[in-house]
Amino acid sequence: MTATSHSSTLTVPPQDTPAEAGPGRTARPARTERSRRQSPLTGTGTLLRFMLRRDRIRTSVWVLGVGLMGFYFAHAIQLIAEDQEALNSLAPLYADPIGRMMVGPGFGMDAPTHERFFASGYALFVHILMALMTVFTVVRHTRAEEQTGRAELVRANVLGRHATLTAALLLVTGAVLLAAALVWVGAVTAGFDMEGSLLVAATSACTGLFFAGAAATAVQLSESSRGASAMAGGLLAAAYLVRMGGDAPEVGGTALSWASPLGWAQQTAPYVDNLWWPLLPLAGGAVVFTALGYWLSTQRDVGASLVPTRLSRAEARPALGTPLGMAARTLRGGLRGWGIALVLTALMFGAYAQSMVDAAGSLPPEMEQIFRGGDLMLGYLAFMALFMAVFAAAAGVSALQQLRGEENRGRAEFGLSAPMSRTAWLGAHLTVLIAGLVLILALVGAAMGLGAGLSLEEDGWSHFWDLFFAGLLQAPAVLATVGIVTALFGWLPRIAGGVGWVIVGFAGVMATFGSLLDLPEAVQDLDLFGHLAQFPAADVDWAPVLWLTGIGVAGVVLGLLGWRRREVNRV
Amino acid sequence: MTGTHPVISAEGLVKSFGSVRALDHLDLSIAPGEVHGFLGPNGAGKSTTMRVLLGLLRPDSGTVRMFRRDPWKDAVELHRRLAYVPGDVEIWPNLTGGEVIDMFLRLRGSYSARRRNELVERFDLDPRKKARTYSKGNRQKVALIAALAADVDLLLLDEPTAGLDPLMEVVFQDVIREARADGKSVLLSSHILAQVEALSDRISIIRAGAIVESGSLSELRHMTRTTVEVETAAPAEALAQQPGVHSFRTEDGRSVFEVDGDRVQEVMLRLAPLGIRSLTAHPPTLEQLLMRHYGEDLPPQDAPRSPQRASTAEAAPGQPPAPAEAAPAEATAAPARTSGTGRH
Repeated sequence: MTATSHSSTLTVPPQDTPAEAGPGRTARPARTERSRRQSPLTGTGTLLRFMLRRDRIRTSVWVLGVGLMGFYFAHAIQLIAEDQEALNSLAPLYADPIGRMMVGPGFGMDAPTHERFFASGYALFVHILMALMTVFTVVRHTRAEEQTGRAELVRANVLGRHATLTAALLLVTGAVLLAAALVWVGAVTAGFDMEGSLLVAATSACTGLFFAGAAATAVQLSESSRGASAMAGGLLAAAYLVRMGGDAPEVGGTALSWASPLGWAQQTAPYVDNLWWPLLPLAGGAVVFTALGYWLSTQRDVGASLVPTRLSRAEARPALGTPLGMAARTLRGGLRGWGIALVLTALMFGAYAQSMVDAAGSLPPEMEQIFRGGDLMLGYLAFMALFMAVFAAAAGVSALQQLRGEENRGRAEFGLSAPMSRTAWLGAHLTVLIAGLVLILALVGAAMGLGAGLSLEEDGWSHFWDLFFAGLLQAPAVLATVGIVTALFGWLPRIAGGVGWVIVGFAGVMATFGSLLDLPEAVQDLDLFGHLAQFPAADVDWAPVLWLTGIGVAGVVLGLLGWRRREVNRV
Repeated sequence: MTGTHPVISAEGLVKSFGSVRALDHLDLSIAPGEVHGFLGPNGAGKSTTMRVLLGLLRPDSGTVRMFRRDPWKDAVELHRRLAYVPGDVEIWPNLTGGEVIDMFLRLRGSYSARRRNELVERFDLDPRKKARTYSKGNRQKVALIAALAADVDLLLLDEPTAGLDPLMEVVFQDVIREARADGKSVLLSSHILAQVEALSDRISIIRAGAIVESGSLSELRHMTRTTVEVETAAPAEALAQQPGVHSFRTEDGRSVFEVDGDRVQEVMLRLAPLGIRSLTAHPPTLEQLLMRHYGEDLPPQDAPRSPQRASTAEAAPGQPPAPAEAAPAEATAAPARTSGTGRH
């Protein structure tokens, strides 16, 4: 048989006899031999390239986010405290028990410098963000892939047993190193000490790798990616809580601080003692967890978990059979998460009240300018109520994005195939969302009141109702945000989420820097959150309460109208 | 029941997404109590039709009535009388299968808990697991149980068994027969031919947004070609030129060809004088019906692959290469069947 006959008649199957094999075919036996010698890591490189391609934007955003956060902290401190005097007056905020509870052991606050502020007050949050990046990335490329069944498709190819986990860990290690380098650059460009800055960056990297290891273990244990993220994230939360308890009693922390991986990270005392050895338990933990993850992965099947999935109810509770019940089940997870985080933060901010009273009069003017209003303590709490409300609005935007997701994934379509009107569907979700957000704001106010009541030495409880009301008073701005995004959901669903995040982001920037930026009034007025009075530091102004509520209600009505008349689309 | 009025009647439905015309003057009519097979490949417009019927999409032009109502305006009222199983079932990951089934049954109103539990058992679903751990097949079971246990008049099923194993396919067919016995109407979109052939009273074949054939299987067979294998005393080659005769070829001294349904009579009259020694004729299978409509999409290089054929241009559609290898009695049916049944 000749080559031409091969190409002309497609029906003839290629008959590969060794005598016929041309030069192009000699590679074949070699390939078979190589695949016979395959290792558990076969295919790691290909998979890593695939992951990089898939996550080229996501990973870049994470890395830049961590880097920018470090850069921002390092440079912002110098804006807030311009000279030594300002530094000295700010130092107690980090060195007193409540400050230590929030941010760490408070090394070097007896002789504060900008770099020590950076390490004591802010580096912890860079570490936490780094840990979140590694947990989410590892889970996303391992368990989430198995859960969706995509892993099966990939594993069916010539791929070693450990290739997926290895590629995910390589990806995350690369991201961690890059982000740490950016943090280092951020600190050094702020004029901080080389070695201390390197230590901060190295600590961040080790923390990230520690939690990457924890995630590598968690994904073997849980059958769902959410469960795995919750396990590794729960370890991070526990680490934070343990070091809170450890750092509060004494400057420099106590034995309990050493029971937390975040405690180890902070015990390096950058720019003060520059200790490198506490990185050993972090790095060691990363190695142990990673090894455990590899070992556990050999003990289970693809797609299976070591912790059996918990069975839940076989029949629904009566409440689930209504649009409201359905909406509540869809939205409550997210609202609960945001609620718990915001209420705990509010409690801590409230507990900071006494420190603010003590620091009154000695704070740098830039700081006072942020907390507009007469009484510094109340001004601070009014500001915090606003700040929390911006986050509550973020919760609202993210919930509305979730609704758009329900639509895109076809669950709205499926739900609407039951006798449930469009108005009932969106109305029920909005009812749950708005009720949830108002409840969060009320709880935030109550938590601030509780914190202040417990911490203030004089008349602590006299402010409780004022602070409760301060939380609730932010509801109109949150409602307005929800209203605008809902209106867009009804008419221009593609841009709704994006516009929502712009509103929230702008409000966040205006809350923190607005008074320092000196922007034209017309621009400042665009901030939905800038109009409400700084209650309890200032008297309530009802006009903005009314028109912000009006925007919210009008937006909801418009959104419902649009949703009734537009098509339900999945694209 | 609405008596003899069609449960679904659509006329001249047009729906475009940007420059893509998803429905192009689609007509569809479904009588009460009928199981209507809705056949067509992916992207032909089956799901778009379903979504118009559900009132989720508004057609650009044409009229559509379900139970004599407008599905866009009267969606809620209509949805009390129907249940829908999406082609790509997505359910809430934080609910268990049992919870999703109950939620839908309660939203739809009346249902029987006994029937629900019976279906859960028959479909072998563990209702206690969270939906995020379900496979596609299990999610489909959830939607099927929620639809089949509901007390409704119409079932809209969009490729309902794409993720089910053959055992569950059998359960599904039993359950649909029971639904029909209860007087329910079913619109069953599918590309599993055997399923549609087994269940449907009538069939509509959709192609590029329009219905190209509609009728009962026997009507469709009549409208399409019968395969004839005949051994004659005199050479029968001249028949290849006869109008209505296609794919004429000679195998082992016998002539094999296809005849248009409405020309069988004429061809038989031409055959008789040739001296018939043996004759077999069999109706087209559903695969052949379908391939006749879709086969034309096959790339043209198909033709030279079967040089044995007398009239290749006509023969190419839908016929996989080398039919000569098959046993003569099944010469035309066999290749099409293998390509069709291989799917499930």
